[in-house]
Amino acid sequence: MYETFDWRFLGADTVLEHRVEADDGALLVWRSITTGEVLGQLPVHEVPRFVWHLPQTPVVERLARVTEMRAIVPLVTLDTRLDSLRLIDDDDKTLARVTLDRSTARGGGPLPAVIDLNPVRGYDAEARALEELLAAQIGLVPDTEDVTIAALRAVGFAPGSYSSKLRLALDPASTALDAWTTVLRALFATMQANESGLRGDVDSEFLHDFRVAVRRTRSVLADAKDIIDPDVRAWARDEFRWIGQVTSPPRDADVFLLALPAFEDALPGERRRDLKAFQAFLEEQQVRAHAELVAALDTERYRSLTGRWRELLDEGFSPAEGSARPEPPDAGAPAVGIAGAHIRKAHRRVIRDGRTINSASHPEELHELRKEAKRLRYLLECFGSLYPPDLVTPVVRELKDLQDVLGAYQDSQVQAEGIEQLGQQMLEKHGAPAAALLAMGGVVEHLDDIGRDARAQFAARFAAFDTKSVRTSVEQLGRPKDGARSGG
Amino acid sequence: MKVIATYNLKGGVGKTATAVNLSYLAAAEGARVLVWDLDPQGAASFYFRVKPKVKGGGKSLVRGKRDLDDVVKGTDFEHLDLVPADFSYRNLDLVLEHTKRPTRRLGQLLRPLRKDYDYVFLDCPPSISLASESVFEAADVLLVPLIPTTLSLRALDQLDRFLENADLRKPPRVLGFFSMVDRRKRLHRDVIDNVTAGRRRVLRTRIPSAMDIERMGQRRKPVATFAPRSRSAAAYRDLWSEAKTRF
Repeated sequence: MYETFDWRFLGADTVLEHRVEADDGALLVWRSITTGEVLGQLPVHEVPRFVWHLPQTPVVERLARVTEMRAIVPLVTLDTRLDSLRLIDDDDKTLARVTLDRSTARGGGPLPAVIDLNPVRGYDAEARALEELLAAQIGLVPDTEDVTIAALRAVGFAPGSYSSKLRLALDPASTALDAWTTVLRALFATMQANESGLRGDVDSEFLHDFRVAVRRTRSVLADAKDIIDPDVRAWARDEFRWIGQVTSPPRDADVFLLALPAFEDALPGERRRDLKAFQAFLEEQQVRAHAELVAALDTERYRSLTGRWRELLDEGFSPAEGSARPEPPDAGAPAVGIAGAHIRKAHRRVIRDGRTINSASHPEELHELRKEAKRLRYLLECFGSLYPPDLVTPVVRELKDLQDVLGAYQDSQVQAEGIEQLGQQMLEKHGAPAAALLAMGGVVEHLDDIGRDARAQFAARFAAFDTKSVRTSVEQLGRPKDGARSGG
Repeated sequence: MKVIATYNLKGGVGKTATAVNLSYLAAAEGARVLVWDLDPQGAASFYFRVKPKVKGGGKSLVRGKRDLDDVVKGTDFEHLDLVPADFSYRNLDLVLEHTKRPTRRLGQLLRPLRKDYDYVFLDCPPSISLASESVFEAADVLLVPLIPTTLSLRALDQLDRFLENADLRKPPRVLGFFSMVDRRKRLHRDVIDNVTAGRRRVLRTRIPSAMDIERMGQRRKPVATFAPRSRSAAAYRDLWSEAKTRF
């Protein structure tokens, strides 16, 4: 069975299996676990890391829509004995299939035997009759759990255990220090969960999720004044800034590589191949940047950062024993009120700065606004579970739309600049072919168009965020009267 | 969803064998495929062992009483479904005449299935009639088997002219290919050599006149399932790969 690290197949109630038969036949089978229906199957001998490396067929396109940029990795291997029977009519036409499935999970022991009844479309009555017969004669009862889930459990996987979304349920009655610690712990767990895939460069999303956890950590630390001991906080902010820096170059290369198909689409057909030299250059850069990142993760600095951070999270940032230092003033205050105050402050800044932006504003101002919007978003994601969802959700929705347009603007600018720099480097190092540079010029033009569109949309998106209803929701967060879920 | 009709004015040129074998190959690659047996003789239904009967007959389909979805039957192969033939298709022209915009009816019936199938093969009866106009309107591609004779090439020209003059919103792409080719026959060789020199819309792959294809009637299966290493199975594989690049 194959899955993405973040369980995209099971998330869609499906599984992807590679079935290798004794006679050397091999099929990649994608099926629903609720109905057992085969959604797609194709002959595949070796499963590639990315589904888009398979021959382009409609089913591969559908699979790629599920995985997007994620790699598929083998999770569990079953040794299966399948005995199949067919229900046929007088023309030897199959009306239903019955299979007896006896499997052993490698590393997990034998699984319960399962009889599968697969109806053939248009012959439902025959399948139903057979089902009744099986129930009446052998006393079989319908099984509710797919054999795959049983297999995963047998080898110790908890399906759906990882998600790139922060899934927190903070206790509204907790103190600020407790809530901050819980959030930082969850973020550190995300970093740890992604580290091995990141080191192995399995796909781009391990680094992406790792970086998001680092950025959220930095944001939460920035908003931890008067909650976490100042020395600890200063140390942690420095160290996480460093981690953020060392992860930037490989991420930049990843972003370009992920955007390549869109860049190609923006060019006329005959020019598309000209980006191959650019792609090769990026791939080379990505490999180098990734190796440098892994070297940074192998340093003593990183080891001691993670070691000390884990200790602090376990011990809850309490002052060292015998230390005369007082607890920071907000640490023991209710989280609901403190987080609410931070969210309101971040919101006020977005509104203040956003209102000054007009069509003549310098790109830097939009860039600053994007950072502030991000900070607000992180606060809402990390601490939103302290408040009623009907207050938080609409704010996040409008904020997300605003961020999308700010992001599109910023990314197009940064990428256009990046492509120009890369073009220069390619010219210096390799004497890049003129066709490649021309094609890259075409991409820069396309990015300028995107940037202009995004900028044109800004006013409307900001107006949708700068509304009375959003302001009222934010104002209520953590206010004693009705903002908190319980006595905040 | 791509709609591919196997069509020729003449009967007995290998239309059904093409629909059956290509649909099987498409499904074996992982595509979701529907074959609609529009020929009242029901040869495609016969090859797939599905009884040639549509509940309420073709009439109820055309008149919109019954969704196509309700009459689809699974074949013995994964993702390969069939709308069986019904003898009442013989009256299809009569029924179509009594519906509004008769030539668009087939396309309308297929529309709800757009998300369910990657390819639909229409196996058509040999004629130019209201039913075939409806096919031309619904199909993206007409795959036309041609026996390599001068007459059959003239039929292809006639079809071209008909499509030019017909009032179609988007005429299908016509792709001919030589079928039932016997290299021992001088006429076949001459016609093929002439055409290869001149015409662009005739595919390069040729389907031989072979026992394996005739044996489909006995085996009631696509050639690739009972004679996978045969010349005819290889020819259908080539035809499918070549045709796909032209859709």
